Amino acid sequence: MTSTTRLLRLYAVSRRVPFALIAIAACAVALRVMLLGHWDAYGALQLPLVIETAAATATAATAASVFGEPERVTGRWLPYLRLTATLALTAAAIGALATAAATGAHLAGGDLVMARNLAGITGLGLLCAAALGGGLSWTGPTGYLVAGVYALYTVWHGPAITTPWLWPARPPHDLGGLLSAGAVFAAGLAAVTVGGARDRLSNGE
Amino acid sequence: MRAAGRLISLELRHNAMPLMLPLIAALFWLTTYRKVMAMPPLWNVRAASLQMNSVIVFVAPLAGAAAWMGSRESRRRVTDTVSITPRARWARLLPTWAATTIWALVAYLGCVAVLYGATARQASWGGPLWWPVAVAAASLPAFTALGFAAGVFAPSRFTAPITAIAAFFILVVSTELIIGSHSYWQITPVVAYAWDLGADPGVATFYPFLPDLPIAQLMFLGGFTVTLLGALALTSEGARALRIAAVGLTVAGLAVAVTAVMLAGTGTMDAHGMIRIPALHDAADDQPVRFTPVCSRTAIPVCLNPAYSSYLAATAATLEPVLEQIAGLPGAPVRILQEAAAYKQDTCQGPGSRVRSGTCSPNGVEINPGSPMSGGSPLVYRLLLPAQLPGPALTTAQMASQTRGDGWDMVRNFIGDGPGASPAQDAVTAAIIMAGKQPGATATFIQNGQDGTDAGRAPGLTTGTPANAAAKRFAALPASARHAWLAGHLAALRVGQITVAQVP
Repeated sequence: MTSTTRLLRLYAVSRRVPFALIAIAACAVALRVMLLGHWDAYGALQLPLVIETAAATATAATAASVFGEPERVTGRWLPYLRLTATLALTAAAIGALATAAATGAHLAGGDLVMARNLAGITGLGLLCAAALGGGLSWTGPTGYLVAGVYALYTVWHGPAITTPWLWPARPPHDLGGLLSAGAVFAAGLAAVTVGGARDRLSNGE
Repeated sequence: MRAAGRLISLELRHNAMPLMLPLIAALFWLTTYRKVMAMPPLWNVRAASLQMNSVIVFVAPLAGAAAWMGSRESRRRVTDTVSITPRARWARLLPTWAATTIWALVAYLGCVAVLYGATARQASWGGPLWWPVAVAAASLPAFTALGFAAGVFAPSRFTAPITAIAAFFILVVSTELIIGSHSYWQITPVVAYAWDLGADPGVATFYPFLPDLPIAQLMFLGGFTVTLLGALALTSEGARALRIAAVGLTVAGLAVAVTAVMLAGTGTMDAHGMIRIPALHDAADDQPVRFTPVCSRTAIPVCLNPAYSSYLAATAATLEPVLEQIAGLPGAPVRILQEAAAYKQDTCQGPGSRVRSGTCSPNGVEINPGSPMSGGSPLVYRLLLPAQLPGPALTTAQMASQTRGDGWDMVRNFIGDGPGASPAQDAVTAAIIMAGKQPGATATFIQNGQDGTDAGRAPGLTTGTPANAAAKRFAALPASARHAWLAGHLAALRVGQITVAQVP
């Protein structure tokens, strides 16, 4: 085993990446099972949003470090490891959910909406990790889930909330929604890559 | 006791819930306050919406924060250190759960105070409904107990998000499983009214709010919370007596929760649109609420329930033109009185279809006037306001547009018009409505059943027919001449003894 591979493996294990992958796989299975049902207009968009949020929180939760501050002085590879792990997990989440939807099911809004929602909410989780700590990275995404589900509801039961910052309620090819979600993901990724999660040693697991 | 108080005070200061408060406040404003304040200022509608929305707002942050607090000992690797303290683990954990719950209740009561305070300033009648507030409040300890137990039993960085999202998911999906009023899923604290009917402004105004379902929900939430806390004690080290008490607590909680679910399954929607559970029902709640109606100063007074007094001016202005035409004539009503709607489930063919003189809600609940259109001595015409029916809040203009049809129905009822009526009755009905300068009221328009009228009620008055000409002729008469002719010929007109040619 090369030292790079070993470093990647140790980093992944310390961030609970294997568990995150299991959680993402479980989300994909849950999405596929859920798509067996016939949901009404906004239910068909709300329920996938719940699954997308779950996958996003699993990704964001890996930002937490069990070592805290001491880890930061160990070498120059840490930002690259954070970037690689986060991008890989986000890609894995999008791929897993897209695969689940592609196996004979219809995902309302399509893969683009799913990828947009998942990336944006992951970005929100990463921002929370940077601001509050990795252990509390779920606070933003779960709060945003409630707002997103409500925004989708208002599309059918107006007055509709149309701000692009609530991108789950925007149509698939809406540029504002895509840009907002993309900007939040980029900001979250940058924050976690550069500074990591705001963790204290006492908050590790 | 003092030590317990000090422990709780410490836990209150070192709790994750204060971090959640800005998030909860923002979500409450976005999803609940804005929505509820856009609703008519009726306590019943706003209380139901408050319960439903606040439960949805609180569930995810609360379950997540509680799970985070529950996993604290493990997260900080002090499980072994604190296990040597003289207190049992359960006694150590309980103040943490209690502090989390106290924060949640304080936040929730703040939300209730803001919303009910604003409603108290706007509502014209009635008072706050506390059952929906109590159900949402009781759901908070249940959410914290769920999250806390998850955090204690499975401490990990993924526990809090999984618990938060799973609790939200279950709550949202549970409402999708409610079919009819016998559903066990009505026990979920999101349900604040007969689910198939929706938030209906006509419910719990003329009849008291039925606490049957809230009682079952409170039983369930209490039982659920006790079960989870008992389970925490069961798995903790401690004295034998504590374990025995924990077993008793868990079993009792479980029994209460299961009983509540079974009770919810026996519910039926009553004629007043609320869920009645026979075992919990108090017959005193079936008596109508006493109120003094607010009345307009029109030729025939229009009287509404004081809760709807904000609609009085618009309703009276819409009906006034036709009321002036018939006031004082023999057989004319002495007043128009708003009445309660009657609800019936499982009788509709489809959403929006008409049933007798009523309509169907989107989920197939039949809504009819609670009593015949007119009756009593002296004669009273009964009115079901469009604002009493389920659907989005109506503007004054929308209300007026929909109430106009009631004015037309009133004239038809007064003249005896309808299927089988004589052409003269059709003509006079159309003429009175036209003379009342109702917008869009031409003879053809009225009789062809457009613009809010029911197609087929009075067919046969088409352009170019003698009846149409008679209608225009009669409408063109001075009001006093019309009134005098009707006073002398109304009885004969009603029994079909007047021909079109005899209409002046």
